Amino acid sequence: MGFGPDRFPDLVLPDHAGGRRSLSELAAGDPLVLQTFRGPWCPKEQAYFTSLLRFQDEAEVAYTSMVSLSVDPPEVLSALRAGLEARWTFLSDAGREYLDVLGLRETTDTVNHPYQPAVFVLAPDLTVRAAYNGYWYWGRPGVDELRADLRALTRELRPDWEPPRG
Amino acid sequence: MGDRLWLALMDSRASGCTAAAALSGGGCLVGWLQDDQPVRQARRADPRVLDVAGAAALVSLVLPPEDGLWLFDDPAVQQARRAVLADARPADVVTTLLLDASHFAGALTVRRGEGAAALLRDDPFGRIWPARVREVGPGLLGTVAPPPGPTIERHGSAVPWPGGRF
Repeated sequence: MGFGPDRFPDLVLPDHAGGRRSLSELAAGDPLVLQTFRGPWCPKEQAYFTSLLRFQDEAEVAYTSMVSLSVDPPEVLSALRAGLEARWTFLSDAGREYLDVLGLRETTDTVNHPYQPAVFVLAPDLTVRAAYNGYWYWGRPGVDELRADLRALTRELRPDWEPPRG
Repeated sequence: MGDRLWLALMDSRASGCTAAAALSGGGCLVGWLQDDQPVRQARRADPRVLDVAGAAALVSLVLPPEDGLWLFDDPAVQQARRAVLADARPADVVTTLLLDASHFAGALTVRRGEGAAALLRDDPFGRIWPARVREVGPGLLGTVAPPPGPTIERHGSAVPWPGGRF
């Protein structure tokens, strides 16, 4: 990856509705799971989205933001998001602005220049707490792995992880 | 001044309010930034929605019947929050309204521009109680970036969703 080992760049890109959003704004003080993906056409991405949809149903009550990022334009991402029934933010890097900054250019696709599949678990300050290389499908984290990462991160973030006594 | 925003439907601008704007059909939507409830019918809203430089807009206001408060975590209210997050064309403002830490006391949705009226006819909170759609004058309501998703929980039971953070 082309960024430092500790801090993810604060990307600023259009979301699926066309509004410009920053990653730090989207974290909004909570842990953030960021997924990069090749595009809606990839069967591996289609399969992995079913895991993320299961994860969404837990994240919605667990104070965790989710972001998916690809080179598709906002209108394509909006249609994908609606079709999936996803309720998290999709970011569009149609200009390939961050592909090389992040070191995530899929060099084997010289036609479409998509993102390599990857998943990052970020703290609210965008510190990287876990990084998964999803080039091969089994490199992607399952829901239980994300849960373990987020348990460790949330335990650090929340001073009342141990419930108040008495 | 305080950290809490209170909104109420009034016959006219109230003395001591922070901002107010006329509603089509008569009356005013009035806002107060203060800790204590200013008038009996005032409900707490996400303070980010208040903008004294905000443009005129269309609003959908959903209020419960006098004897009909539902729990904030009623599955119907949860599903309305999910529908807000799933919306491919996010509103300029969405805030739930609160009277206490347990109950859902309504919602305010603000839209501007082409298609605003049609989109407000499908206000997710309008599936719980009837929505009143009105034009509201300038000087009260701004624009807030849509929530990142998929969190539907409040950041503390006294905080109107989707505002607040830990």
